[in-house]
Amino acid sequence: MIIEHAGYLPGVDADLVAWQANLYGPEGDQISVLLPVLLERQVVQLIGHVREQARLKLKSRPLGQIIDAIDLTISRLLDRQDPYRRRMDHLLPIITGYDREMVRLGLTSYLKTFRKPQLQRFLAEDFTNPTILDSFQPLPKGGLGRAFGPKILTHVWAGNVPGLPLWSLVAGLLVKAGNIGKVPTAEPMFASWFSQLFAEVAPELADCLAVVWWQGGDEVSETAVLKESDLVLGYGQNESLAAIQSRLPVTKRFLAFGHKVSIAMVSAEALNASKVSATARLVAYDVARYDQQGCYAPHMVFVEHGGSVLPKRFAQYLAYELAVFEEKFPLRPLSLAEASGIVSWRNMEEMIPGGQVFFADTGSWAVSYQTEESFLPSCLNRTIRVIGIDALTKVPAILAPFSDLLQTAGIAAPPEELVTLANSLGEVGVTRIAAIGDMTSPEAGWHHDGRFNLLDLVKITEIDGRAEGAADQLASYDD
Amino acid sequence: MLILALTSRPDLFKCGAGILNLSEVTADLLSFIKADMTNDIEFDRIALQQFAFQFAHNKPFAKFARARGKTPRTVTSWTDIPAVPISAFKALEMTCCRPSEAEALFMTSGTTSSLSRGKIYHHSLSVYDASMRSNFSKRFMGGVERMQMGILYPTIEKMPNSSLAYYLNLAKRDFGKPDSSHLIGEVGIDFDRLIADLVRAETTRQPYALLGASFSLVHALDGLKERGFSVNLPTGSRILDTGGFKGQSRELTPNEFYNSLSNIFNVPRSHCINMYGMTELSTQFYDNGNTDSPSVKSGPCWANSRVVNPLTGADVPKGVSGVLVHTDLAHINIVTTILTEDIGIETDDGFILLGRAAGTEAKGCSMAVDEFLTATRSIES
Repeated sequence: MIIEHAGYLPGVDADLVAWQANLYGPEGDQISVLLPVLLERQVVQLIGHVREQARLKLKSRPLGQIIDAIDLTISRLLDRQDPYRRRMDHLLPIITGYDREMVRLGLTSYLKTFRKPQLQRFLAEDFTNPTILDSFQPLPKGGLGRAFGPKILTHVWAGNVPGLPLWSLVAGLLVKAGNIGKVPTAEPMFASWFSQLFAEVAPELADCLAVVWWQGGDEVSETAVLKESDLVLGYGQNESLAAIQSRLPVTKRFLAFGHKVSIAMVSAEALNASKVSATARLVAYDVARYDQQGCYAPHMVFVEHGGSVLPKRFAQYLAYELAVFEEKFPLRPLSLAEASGIVSWRNMEEMIPGGQVFFADTGSWAVSYQTEESFLPSCLNRTIRVIGIDALTKVPAILAPFSDLLQTAGIAAPPEELVTLANSLGEVGVTRIAAIGDMTSPEAGWHHDGRFNLLDLVKITEIDGRAEGAADQLASYDD
Repeated sequence: MLILALTSRPDLFKCGAGILNLSEVTADLLSFIKADMTNDIEFDRIALQQFAFQFAHNKPFAKFARARGKTPRTVTSWTDIPAVPISAFKALEMTCCRPSEAEALFMTSGTTSSLSRGKIYHHSLSVYDASMRSNFSKRFMGGVERMQMGILYPTIEKMPNSSLAYYLNLAKRDFGKPDSSHLIGEVGIDFDRLIADLVRAETTRQPYALLGASFSLVHALDGLKERGFSVNLPTGSRILDTGGFKGQSRELTPNEFYNSLSNIFNVPRSHCINMYGMTELSTQFYDNGNTDSPSVKSGPCWANSRVVNPLTGADVPKGVSGVLVHTDLAHINIVTTILTEDIGIETDDGFILLGRAAGTEAKGCSMAVDEFLTATRSIES
């Protein structure tokens, strides 16, 4: 059986660490992942080490060198023959259950968004002059400013979508923070491998990040880590986020990224005979990719009446395209609870007056067509609700009560409509408008949940404009 | 060819189904319950008869079955009868009679994920009563006609739509001695009364039966422990618990729970019976005591259980976990076959219940339905 060590623990004697073995994958193809179980003392030692090493080696390093180190790591991971990439391609499908090809293709297109030019764009998105992370730079208001990342930035990741931790980990490195990442049990390896490889590629920065694990709900470990952190990024459901917040002193900052709901919208123009198949295929792709587990995947599609294909007919086109994707990228094996959830959802949808559900005999996808204009998430795992609607302009009002939960809206509509809709969707809380088919692959530098990925992490130390003048008076050359 | 054409004429078939009336279907079933003999052929015959009856009279069910290509013509064995997911009872009036004609309406408790409560209409409770009595007598009473009973659950007057309150009321009425009593008052368990009853049973050496929700029994255990009370109930005493803890009490493992019961009441684990019942059914399942946990549960000959893959409905092999489907012939006014959200494993003598399948969390960062409902409730409030 393949055994992998999760975590990355610089400065901690690996022989003194206890490991918990977790099995992943179906019987016959199982792998064992050893998860580090740290004592409170080891947590403190680890964080102390990372804090000190980041201070010594990261804070004064020019940003360009950090970008180069990340770029080099990513280029290794893009090389399909690289031993780390081969492990990812081989083992991530076993750990998560996602289809092998889907993971392989998904990783490549995802990793491509972390190359040097994309990282520079990422920086430019938040800082007019990114060198503000290296040294004091003139500020428009006068005076000078320099951006400092937190000494210790802790990431509490969640979920099993491969690669997601990379967003925040890269952001943490770019702002020169010492990074402590906590991996979820559902997928503990991606961030571990990335960090191990990063250490190999850039040994001078090897001690500036660490990857840890603790059992969800383990208050002792969580509290120990939180106490040592300056800024915490948390992902997951509101309940877990609230628990983190309750354990953080009020002086520490906490940025919470809760679970979100995304939707798609298809205008009548995308429903003529020559475009409908392509439209349905793109929506199906957004549904099938990682089985809707990403927060940018659609739960429901609002489909406009008035095209040459009726919304109900569109639901059938979508069903057909999902069946095609099932051939290409089969649904991951579901737990009994998930399977039960689908049956229950399908049934509820069927019972709504005017509702009709199209589904696979194997249960691997389901499309529910509804006429009632309401907002209710699907139960994921390739289940989607198609809602026929007179005009897409009515959608924002339906979304409005759920403002806090919204993220992406995928839109298939002509240009003027796209902008009009974007305005009213933004007003009700949607933070990202994407083309259908692109919903699940945000571009480099996107504003996750509408926030600034880097700017939110730093504090600006500014030199008041008058301080320069005052200092001048004390200079040796002062007359 | 001519014959084929004739038999596929729906109007002719309808005539066939029209012959069935409620009293006929009921009579066949009652004699099957009375005989209480495993008879696969008779089970199949009654199940198909009931399916035809329910297909003809339960409109939402007929629509559900038709959408799956299941009609009295295509269903040839009880295992072909489409299983109705329990969530259907929340959305639809799954009944063969008009709701206004029903003698009783039982409602499911509104658990976290439910949008509303499931409604189960009983045209007449005579079948429910017959099923309950025959089964209860055999599986719980152990050959004794009546026992003094303590019921740790509210009365049917307090909870008129609770099938469990009705069940426990029936147990007390038909199997309890006259001094049996409900022990839940306005402010929870009436400990003075409970302790007095237990002491009396101990002194008179008359077997005593304590029945109630599993979480009520935990509250009773905790309360008695607090008072430093334990009792040596006489041989033949029994305890029935049902429904699990549901977050209403501490969560105990089966071993902790049954050990505590046997320590405080001196009732051996072999006489601690767990009943598995559902509002969505008219028949209950019991184990033969909890000497070993988890115990094996089974129903009477008029209720068969299968373990299936919920998505395909296909049986999973013995020993593999799946979702439980029950075919309950006593559920006459509703549907015979329901798809539960309970996970189980089939064994040689029945099934092992592993817990509930509902309440899944999202694997990724997308929101799960349950979480959405919780979140929107907080928005509304």
